[in-house]
Amino acid sequence: MISHEVTIAGYLVALAGIVLLQVLATRTRVPIPSLGDLLTRAMRSRTGRVGVLVAWAWIGLHFFAR
Amino acid sequence: MSRAAPGPEDRHAHSPGAEGGAACADTVVDAARPAGRVLAALAGFREPVVWILLAIAFFTAISGKPVDGVLMLVVAVGLAWDAGRRALRHADAAGTAGAQAWPGRLRGGRRRIIVVGALLAGAAVYAGVVGSFSRYSWPVTACIIGLGTVVVLIGWHGPVRDRPAGGRLPVAGTLAWVAVLVAGCLWELGALLQQPSLTTDSYSHPTISTLTDPVLATSPGRAVVLLGWLALGWYLVER
Repeated sequence: MISHEVTIAGYLVALAGIVLLQVLATRTRVPIPSLGDLLTRAMRSRTGRVGVLVAWAWIGLHFFAR
Repeated sequence: MSRAAPGPEDRHAHSPGAEGGAACADTVVDAARPAGRVLAALAGFREPVVWILLAIAFFTAISGKPVDGVLMLVVAVGLAWDAGRRALRHADAAGTAGAQAWPGRLRGGRRRIIVVGALLAGAAVYAGVVGSFSRYSWPVTACIIGLGTVVVLIGWHGPVRDRPAGGRLPVAGTLAWVAVLVAGCLWELGALLQQPSLTTDSYSHPTISTLTDPVLATSPGRAVVLLGWLALGWYLVER
């Protein structure tokens, strides 16, 4: 039972970190790029763009496809 | 050493250092020599994205999802080959390529509204229909693979509209993102490796897939998640 909760708490901490960084990026002047800026930068080259889109496709495959 | 003008695949406005030296596989080599051609053909394997996709293909395949693994492998090899081919092309015809407008680029507010409306309606139908299929069935597999292929091919041809290059990202802030995202991935990997086996769920160490199973067990739940997946895909294609 404890392991179950600790595992879920880990996911929540990671999620909270993402939300915190996004809030800091968009609501304050702290020099942190938003997730959108990060994705735009990563997708500037073809390999980056295809890599990100494949990761998106993989999410669909992973949760729904055989 | 010279670089060709940006081709249709690189439609973002370029700024000095925008590609980052290590991240760009468009390295120009002496293509007149056989060794140079071999090096150029292998240039794609210098891309970190290619190795990430190969790792995903491996772990996906050994986790009991061979179809996903093969698809990831195909894309990784295709991407590496394409990067190598572009390196060769740049070497053979440096300076001859010219930027072209993508034929499908949308202009005009009214046309865009119509297209957006059609896409929203299509997304709703897609989510409703595909969500009605059982998980891991062949119909849903075909629908996901079909849409995923279309989106990846769109991305392969370049962004759908011009975007400003933007400046350099703050290093510390970028590292903070990398740290959080990598930590999340490692936590998930840790849970996966603590399962009884890679294909057997664990209550004590649930993966994100395990935690989402109750939501995805129902048709409305699948439709809602599919809508979110489609929205994310749309957002990424627009990047």
